[in-house]
Amino acid sequence: MSQLNEREQLSEHEREIMAAGVNEGWLDRCCRRLIHGAARKAPATLSERLEEEWQADLATRRSAASRLRFALGCCWATRVIAREHFAPLPAANAALSAKSWGSKLAFLNFGPQSRLLSRRSIALMVVVCLHVGVFYALMSGLAYNITKVIPAVMQTQIIDEPHPRDVLPPLPPPSLTVPSVKSENLFLPLHSIPIQEPPDKADVALPPSQTEPLSSANGEMSSPPTTHVVSRVQGGPGQGFPNPDEYYPMVARHLQEEGVATVRVCVDPRGRLTSDPTTVESTGSARLDAGALQLARAGSGHYRSSLEDGKAVNSCYSFRVRFQLKN
Amino acid sequence: MGKADHNTDGTVRMSLQTLRVLEVFLENPTEQRSGADVHQACGIASGTLYPILLRLEAAGWFVSRWESIDPSTAGRPRRRLYRLTSTGQRRASEIFASFSRGILT
Repeated sequence: MSQLNEREQLSEHEREIMAAGVNEGWLDRCCRRLIHGAARKAPATLSERLEEEWQADLATRRSAASRLRFALGCCWATRVIAREHFAPLPAANAALSAKSWGSKLAFLNFGPQSRLLSRRSIALMVVVCLHVGVFYALMSGLAYNITKVIPAVMQTQIIDEPHPRDVLPPLPPPSLTVPSVKSENLFLPLHSIPIQEPPDKADVALPPSQTEPLSSANGEMSSPPTTHVVSRVQGGPGQGFPNPDEYYPMVARHLQEEGVATVRVCVDPRGRLTSDPTTVESTGSARLDAGALQLARAGSGHYRSSLEDGKAVNSCYSFRVRFQLKN
Repeated sequence: MGKADHNTDGTVRMSLQTLRVLEVFLENPTEQRSGADVHQACGIASGTLYPILLRLEAAGWFVSRWESIDPSTAGRPRRRLYRLTSTGQRRASEIFASFSRGILT
C-alpha cells in the first residue's frame, strides 16, 4: 500500500492532466482515439484491458510528442500482440531454454533456432533491397537505355579543302607603262634644297638585262619578267589522325546535332601545329565547333604538311570536319 | 496469449529488450510496476514494451493486477501493475547469471 501511496503522490501531473480534460487538445484526443482503435484490434480477451491500461499510461506522458509516440507505439503493439496471439505454435519452438542462452548468445536473436527475422527486420530488408534495386537500375539499366536511344552508327567525315592546282599558271606578261616624268616636276623646287646631282645614267654600270627596259624610250618593258612556277601540294589530316567519332560531343549526339565545321590549322613540316586551330566556318553549334577544334588539336603531329617543290614547308590550310549521325 | 514467442513450459523468446525489462524488475523483485514505470526505467517504446509484458505474463514470469484505487477519487485511471513471479524471478536470475552484466549496458 505504501508503494501505491507513493505512486499517487508522484502522479500529480496526471491529475492535472485529468483535471484539465476540458482543455484537452486535439492531439490528446487523437492519441486517445488511436489507443482506442488499437485496443479494439487486439484479441477480444485483451481488448478492454489493454485500452484501460494504455489510457492510464498515456496520462503519465508529459509532452504531446511523447503521448503521440506512445499512442503510435500502442498501434504497433496491437499488431504484435495479435500476431503472437493467433500465431500457431511452431513445431520447433523458437524459444530457447535459459540454460542454452549463455553459450549461444541467443539473446541477440541470431541463433539458428530463434526467430531469425522479425517483421521489422523483414521490412528493413525490403527497404534495403529496394534501394539496391534503384541504384542498380541507375547504374546499369537506365544507362543502358540511354545508350540505346543514341544512334549506334555515326559517321564523321573530314573533307579536305579542294586542292588548288599543283602548278600555278604562268602569269601574263605585265604591261607596265612607266611615265616619263622628270624629277623636277615631282618635288619642290630644287633651288631651295641642296641636292647632290645623281650621276648620269650612262655612267651607271648595270647588267644588260636591266639596262634594256630602262633605256627604252617610254619605259615600257619589252620582255616579260621571269616567273618561277612553284609546285605546291597542300597538306591535310594524315595518317594516324584521331578518329573523329571520338570527338563527337556526347551532348550533341544526344541532341542529334549535325554540321560541317571548317577548321584552319597551321602546321610545320613535321605535321605539328604551330598555332592553335581556329574555326573558319561554324557548324551553327558551339558544341560541334568545340569538338572540331578539339579534334584538330588532338591531331597535332599527324598532319600532312604542305609541299612546295616536293619540300615540306610551314603552311596554313583549312579542312572540314563533318559531324553527321547516321541511322 | 502469445503462442509464438513463449511456450507453455515457461520459456520465452529472449531479446535484448526483454532482458532490459527483466533487469528493471529484478532490481526490486517484489515491487509492482506499471508499463509507464518500466518505460521510464529502461526507455523501451510502448510498441515493444507491452508485447513483452504480455509475453512474460503469459509465460508465467509475471502476474498483473489492476491498481486498487478509485479513479474518481484519485483523479486518474487505474493502472495495470506487473510483478515478477517466483518462477520468473528464478528464470530471470538464471539468465543473468549466465551472462556478463556488461552486455546489457
